[in-house]
Amino acid sequence: MVEASCFAVRPGRGGATAAENYFAARRRTLQVAASALLTEAGFEATEYAALETLTEMLQSYISEVGRSARALCEHTARTHPVPSDLLLCLSEMGFDVEALPAYAKRTHRIALSAPPTSHLPNTPKGLPTGQRRARPQYIPAHYPEFPDPHTYIRTPTYREPLTEYQVLRERSAAQRRDVERALTRFVAKTGPTYSLFDPDPAAFPLISCQPSANAYLSALLPSHLAEEAASLDNRDDDITTMGVSETGHGLESALSSGSLLPGMGANRPGEEPPIDNPYLRPVRKPKVRRRK
Amino acid sequence: MAERAAHVFSYGHQNASRFWFPCIDSYSELCTWKMEFTVDASMVAVSNGDLTETIYTSDMRRKTFHYTLPTPTAASNISLAVGPFEILVDPNMHEVTHFCLPHLLPLLKHTTTFLHEIFEFYEEILTCRYPFSCYKTVFVDEAYTDASSYASMSIFSTSLLHGSSIVDQTPITRKRTAKALAQQFFGCFISRISWTDDWVLKGISGYIYGLWMKKTFGSNEYNFWIKKWLTRVTDFELQNSGILLHPTFPSGKDKESPTPHLHFSTRYPHTLPCEYYKLYQAKAHLVLRLIENRISMEFLLQVFNKLLSLANTASSQRYQSHMWSQMLLSTAGFLKSISIVSGKDIQPLIRQWVEQSGVVKFFGTFVFNRKRNILELELKQDCFSQGTQKYVGPLTVTVQELDGSFNHNLQIEENSTRHEIPCHSKSRRNKKKKIPLMNGEEVDMDLSAMDSDSPLLWIRVDPGMTLLRRISFEQPDFMWQYQLRYERSVAAQLEAIRALERYPTPASRLALTDILEHEQCFYRVRLEATQCLAKVANAMVNTWSGPPAMKSLFTRMFCCKSCANIIKTNNFSNFQGYFLQKNVPIAMAKQRDAHGLCPKEVLTFILDLIKYNDNRKNKFSDNYYRAALIEALANTITPAVAASNESRTVEGLHPDAKLVLEEITRFLNMEKLLPCYRHTVTASCLRAVRVLQKNGHIPSEPGLFQAYAQYGIFIDVRLAALHALVDYTRVDTSSEILQWLLHLVQNDPVSFVRHKILTMLIEEPPLFRKSESTLCTEALVDQLWKLINSGTAHDSRLRCDAVDLYHALFGLGRPACLPLPELGLVVNLKEKKTVLNPTIKPEAGAAVSENASSSAGGKQSLVSEGANGKEPGSGTSASQGTKRKADSPPAEVTGTEGVTGRQDDDNNEESGKVKVRIRDDEEVDINMEHDTLASPKTGLEDYPSTQGSKPVVAGPESPTTQAARSARASPRNDHHHEHRKKKKKHRHKHKHKRRHDGRDSLPFLGSPASARSFNSLSTSD
Repeated sequence: MVEASCFAVRPGRGGATAAENYFAARRRTLQVAASALLTEAGFEATEYAALETLTEMLQSYISEVGRSARALCEHTARTHPVPSDLLLCLSEMGFDVEALPAYAKRTHRIALSAPPTSHLPNTPKGLPTGQRRARPQYIPAHYPEFPDPHTYIRTPTYREPLTEYQVLRERSAAQRRDVERALTRFVAKTGPTYSLFDPDPAAFPLISCQPSANAYLSALLPSHLAEEAASLDNRDDDITTMGVSETGHGLESALSSGSLLPGMGANRPGEEPPIDNPYLRPVRKPKVRRRK
Repeated sequence: MAERAAHVFSYGHQNASRFWFPCIDSYSELCTWKMEFTVDASMVAVSNGDLTETIYTSDMRRKTFHYTLPTPTAASNISLAVGPFEILVDPNMHEVTHFCLPHLLPLLKHTTTFLHEIFEFYEEILTCRYPFSCYKTVFVDEAYTDASSYASMSIFSTSLLHGSSIVDQTPITRKRTAKALAQQFFGCFISRISWTDDWVLKGISGYIYGLWMKKTFGSNEYNFWIKKWLTRVTDFELQNSGILLHPTFPSGKDKESPTPHLHFSTRYPHTLPCEYYKLYQAKAHLVLRLIENRISMEFLLQVFNKLLSLANTASSQRYQSHMWSQMLLSTAGFLKSISIVSGKDIQPLIRQWVEQSGVVKFFGTFVFNRKRNILELELKQDCFSQGTQKYVGPLTVTVQELDGSFNHNLQIEENSTRHEIPCHSKSRRNKKKKIPLMNGEEVDMDLSAMDSDSPLLWIRVDPGMTLLRRISFEQPDFMWQYQLRYERSVAAQLEAIRALERYPTPASRLALTDILEHEQCFYRVRLEATQCLAKVANAMVNTWSGPPAMKSLFTRMFCCKSCANIIKTNNFSNFQGYFLQKNVPIAMAKQRDAHGLCPKEVLTFILDLIKYNDNRKNKFSDNYYRAALIEALANTITPAVAASNESRTVEGLHPDAKLVLEEITRFLNMEKLLPCYRHTVTASCLRAVRVLQKNGHIPSEPGLFQAYAQYGIFIDVRLAALHALVDYTRVDTSSEILQWLLHLVQNDPVSFVRHKILTMLIEEPPLFRKSESTLCTEALVDQLWKLINSGTAHDSRLRCDAVDLYHALFGLGRPACLPLPELGLVVNLKEKKTVLNPTIKPEAGAAVSENASSSAGGKQSLVSEGANGKEPGSGTSASQGTKRKADSPPAEVTGTEGVTGRQDDDNNEESGKVKVRIRDDEEVDINMEHDTLASPKTGLEDYPSTQGSKPVVAGPESPTTQAARSARASPRNDHHHEHRKKKKKHRHKHKHKRRHDGRDSLPFLGSPASARSFNSLSTSD
């Protein structure tokens, strides 16, 4: 945030806002500090670009020190850094902390004037919406206030459901068609296809057919996929049409699920015990004499 | 094996049992049966008669099914089905058992729920119990025909099974089942004496099946059915050839065929083309109906009852086999029963329709004589063109006048063609009065259309369809319109619709639209009206006003009230509405505007129907409806602007065609993910793609269809693809595809597909007789010729198809593509047959196609392999055969029945039952020889000398030997069903053969031994 603003300062000199002024002032102070250090080191003049780079480095360094000091203090569950935090992070960054007091007491230091006082302008408040809730009794006073209600209260918005029959039919038809088209295109792209136009394989690809061992099964039995699709369709329908009568659907699914129960063998012999049919009789064991 | 649903079943065209076990394969040789089948423990063996017990073999890996059939039954009516069937005992009749392949049990349950009603109906009208003690229905895959009846069991195609949500298949399946059951009484229980008596059995079973249909589906459906078959029979006879029900063959002189006009022999059932035999059965049934008209239904049913009770009595005579002849029916016996029961002589009727082929063809016109108030009717007969005969006798004419409907009985005589019919009413149409109809109903009519001088509303000749006739009757269009609107008979309405095609006027349009909207009208009539209306609309395209025909009507009936372009969500509970909803778009799409294009409005309408089709709330499946919509889309396609095959690109695609193609692509792809019942949508899409190709919208390529025609795709889809390929062959004259198809004819594992390919080629021959075509090559002639003679000995149906195709392609003459036999010599065409030149194969071809059976045996040079099987039949062993016939038939059974036979025991046992024990080689060989000698029964007309069929699909190479081997070896081979199954399921052959040989056959025979026995069999062959 800080850096971004720093860069923004230089070109945008014309109409500076309060925030920009604030950041520019801080930057200037850093620059002065860098210049002072250079003077201390014996430089008489510097190119602006070099100074700028050094300022940048200085700023980065200070930022890094601040960041890691904060991280260290938060790590030990404090909100404010203590000197030891700072020392630790400086030494982690490879800074010789022992040399610091000596450096502070050097003789030829240049005193800098205090930076001009300018305050970070407050961020403008969002428009208050609704009543801000008061804290309940059991929450201690030092806890923050509730935020604006709009930040945590969900207001369900909904449009009037579509009831116009024509639109609904159109929409459901279009939706189904899109789904089908997307699905078939996907399958056509991922599998072997046959094209009706020889030189142009992309046009009208047909999924090629695969012979199967018992072709009659898929042809005669209702496909499970189709039924699932039908039930899915029905569910979609419930949501969009909201209560178009569902007669018939229940019957259909009952019929289809009933007819497709996997327990085909299960209800073969047992249901009607009195049936005497030679094919239901148990198979006899061979007589011993046959074995010789 | 059970997981793969591997199964085996016997099949054949007519008597073909000798192909899978040694027997006297004739419908007239009865005996009782005891059969044992040893099969894998996971399998069920279903055969004729009662299952007495099922016993494990000693190693517990297999089961032996013991069957006894105490009713004397011909070997030809013996059948077998083995497979991992699911068993369903009919909940209403516990002696009836249904079998289907694994996973299909729910469908089987639904499909067979109504069977007991058919039983009840037949038993009631015949006042006779079902003659066998049990009944079994087996549903098998790759069936030879939809339904075939054997003694106490029927084998159906598994495609007939359907669930409760399928509308269209239900009546079809019920009809097939009912027909098969009718044949149980007449055909399986009562057998025929000779082939020429077959018409009686086919007629009676067809007749009682018709009665069932009348009761179940209503008399409209029945009349429609009668009308349909009457039209088909007359059309066939007039176009192709007469159908002779009871041919009489002059003894001795073989050359004189009673049917010289046919290119095949009617002497044997095995030489009849499929189409001919189908119409033969239909004609037999129609003749039975004529007999009913003559002697009344009551008497006719008494005759049936008498026949059945005589046969019942005879069948209970276990030890007096001479009594069993009562179970055989002949034409003479049938006529005798009729004359005893009814006291009427129907000999003239028989002579006219049964012993003579041809139908009656009438042309009728009339004039109303106002002065005398007389209708002058002129009826001309055409009795000279092909397939016609002269009719003399009574004829009913019904005249609807203003005062009512009157029947007049005219006498058709030799020379007079004019008939005068007095009219009852004066033309006084100003009086408002209701007009009485034939059925007593009185209706108001708008009489403004009719001629003010004449009181005639309409005239119908032979309204009861009491003759086998085609009547072309001329009356003005308004009379046809009245007939369509107010005549209540379905046949009359259909005639009127047919006639109105010729009168494209607004009045016709109105009449047709009224019928369409008329709820009480029979739905099939309304469907016909849609087709006719489309034709009328096309004929009056310049004067047509308003929206395309039927659009507003469809909108009113099936679309939402609030938004006219959106169809209601499907609800097919009203079946008439359903059929109409299905058929109107198809007819609508046939409309063309003045430029010969389909109106844009119609196309968008159909696209909307597809878009808004919503079946979620429907308890019936909409697969047939969707297929119909695709058919409608295909109907909208008109020829593209000329472009060569290569230059057809996506960019050049007409926008309308592009829309259609998009829909087809989407449907076809969706079908892969969500297949529908019987893949109707896929089949319809394939047809539509072919239409697009044919009209030049997309490149004409056979690749897609070839992919769909391969083995392993569902049969309906295969047939649709094959049809497209046949069409491709014809349009693009591709010899490559023709070869591909013929290769399939020889090699496809499914017999029905092979048959259908040839049938389709016959219907749409890729080249025309005497026309110049690049397809017509000597190689093709040779190929077909070879197919006729050596590739098809095991399947006579296929052989007849091949003969028919040869006839369709080349006619009776010499194929044009062949080189002249002797350029130096001018051969007199009439003497063609006498030319003996071994190089002239096509000469023989022409001769054979004229009379296939008689000449095929004689051409040794051509008939190499086929001759093996035929030779014995043609005469060498005639004396043997007859001798055996003389003393063996009862002995055939005795081996198992406990009475000592006169022949050696082995033979008796072999033919009477299917053995379980293994024999050693010599014995097999002896039996083999015995079998070849015994099988031809030259004393009987039934026996075909040249061919037959066999119960399994054999490889095309060396079919005869293979057929013979499997048939002969199997009964005495323990694992015979595996042996055959491995042939049936080619693809798994080797893998499983090895496994089963190792597992199953070891305890009984060391595999080397069995191999040796096979070897010896084949060498002896």
